[in-house]
Amino acid sequence: MTRTNIIGVYEDEDILVEAIHHVQSKNIEIKDVYTPIPLHGVFEALKLKTRLPFATFIYGAFGAAVVFAFLYWTSVISYPLKFGGKPLNSLSFIIILFVGTIFIATLLTFLTFFIRQNLYPGKEVTILDPRTTDDKLIIVVDKDDDLSASEIARIKSALVESGASEVNEVVEEVEISKE
Amino acid sequence: MYTQNVRGKLVEGDKTFGQISQDVMRPLYAKTPIWWYVAATIAFAAMLFGGWAIYTTVTYGIGTWGVNNNVAWGWGIINFVWWIGIGHAGTAFSIFLLLMRQKWRTSINRAAEAMTVVAVLCAGMFPMLHMGRIWNAFFILPYWNTRGPIWDNFNSPLFWDVVAISTYLMASAVFWYIGMIPDFATIRDATTSKIKKKVYGFFSFGWVGNAKGWFRFETASLLLGGLAAPLVVAVHSIVSMDFATSVMPGWHTTIFPPYFVTGAIFSGFGMVLTLMIIVRKIYKFQDYVTQGHLDAITRILTFISLIMATAYSTELFIAWYGGQEYEMFTFMKNRVTGEYTFAFWTMVTCNAFIPQLFWFKKIRKNVTFVFIASIFINIGMWFERYVIVVTSLSKDFLPSSWATYSPTIVEMGIFIGTLGLFLLGILYFFRYIPMIAMSEVKGILKQTSK
Repeated sequence: MTRTNIIGVYEDEDILVEAIHHVQSKNIEIKDVYTPIPLHGVFEALKLKTRLPFATFIYGAFGAAVVFAFLYWTSVISYPLKFGGKPLNSLSFIIILFVGTIFIATLLTFLTFFIRQNLYPGKEVTILDPRTTDDKLIIVVDKDDDLSASEIARIKSALVESGASEVNEVVEEVEISKE
Repeated sequence: MYTQNVRGKLVEGDKTFGQISQDVMRPLYAKTPIWWYVAATIAFAAMLFGGWAIYTTVTYGIGTWGVNNNVAWGWGIINFVWWIGIGHAGTAFSIFLLLMRQKWRTSINRAAEAMTVVAVLCAGMFPMLHMGRIWNAFFILPYWNTRGPIWDNFNSPLFWDVVAISTYLMASAVFWYIGMIPDFATIRDATTSKIKKKVYGFFSFGWVGNAKGWFRFETASLLLGGLAAPLVVAVHSIVSMDFATSVMPGWHTTIFPPYFVTGAIFSGFGMVLTLMIIVRKIYKFQDYVTQGHLDAITRILTFISLIMATAYSTELFIAWYGGQEYEMFTFMKNRVTGEYTFAFWTMVTCNAFIPQLFWFKKIRKNVTFVFIASIFINIGMWFERYVIVVTSLSKDFLPSSWATYSPTIVEMGIFIGTLGLFLLGILYFFRYIPMIAMSEVKGILKQTSK
């Protein structure tokens, strides 16, 4: 199955951010925005949210618990070996606890990022406009089959008004782009 | 977001996004230059020598090294600490400067992180070889074994090292890689070569640069920065505790963790400077790594050099003020004066005095001088580790246990081998990876972009 998108191509990041507001004010739903660089203005305009920081916190807490449990179990329960007159459950565990927590939190955060973003080695993509990873910024609007010709014209003119240097229609395979 | 403009233009020449991509990708498309092959041959030769030295060490044992019962740590540990120190700058650069929102880091962080990963790999070889029976190296991992099961000593700094360095290697490698994903995607979409498209496409993980992706990318980078910043401090603190938790005079001091962390960042920044001056010269990246960038690094070096000088004088002061005769002997009779005077004063000159010349603007602007000074910093930092390791061990509490140490050709061979490995790693980095983080540099073109 294929789907057609209307894309507006922009040259400048400041124009793009303004354009998003403009298009939104015309009650046109923006499907996605593709840029070569991260733009905070875009994140704000699209009201993006992520729970990644919370996930990292949970991973950190989980990591600390696991590492401490392991240290406690090995040193106090499994093989209690006294040396240097120190207690079995030693204060110097804190160092491994600290580094181990970072290890687990970092690794799981990375994995979460890759899994949520569905990135993996060798993934094939059909990119809407190959210039978006180089120097162009695009706004993508879904072109539904039931849209009337006048509505399509309205979307296109909104994109042009907002400063798009070109407006194109691009057909894509739908399975790949669905998130 | 950022309106202050103290550093002037970060990218010169009024570049557009497209020009940045072309400039950065140019070396990837160009034919491999002759000097690259020459350098790679030298690196291979060094690695062959290192390979022979490692073979000798493994088959004959540590007896082929110059270490003895008293000076049990020699070049192996010196070089380990030296490489780890160099490996600190990449993460220091990317992470501290990222968290402090220093935009000038963008042209340099990719190379600094590459340096980190290769340097940490080089460092990791030394403790493994120093074990002697390298085939038993896995004993250091806490795995369920048939010896009790008896576990590692979790209170031992040597075990902390294993945990810290493997964590550091993992975190820096992945942080480096995540930053490269958008750039690999740029190459994938821009190249006309089928092979390049396939290979870079494979490594780009299917990155498309949609808004949500960038948002998560930014969030993940900040989170990992926040996690790795304490790690940077922890790793070298732990390395310093290999020394500080023992009772050797000259080692048993509380100043060691901050002193080592500062020293590590110092040597790492020195190496970044060496590398970036070469990169901007060979690949004509003067528009990206501007005079302003070099200026910023030299200013940092001047400041860190002052901290180093303070640490050296504090050590001497405490040796005297503490009134402990062994400490006093080690510092005054065995470092400042005595057999190892040369090493001590080389260290002080290179680390405390030479960077102070950067106070003068004329000197900061002279790239040749800055390049030479950056090499001196790394020589100085090598001698610092030499002074710490060898002086304390060679003359400790009992004169009957005094011994001298000089390295053998095998120890030197391993060091030369790691230099070769480092050079080769950097050469491959020059050849196949975009040396400047394109997507990040594009983001700082407009100082006021949202």
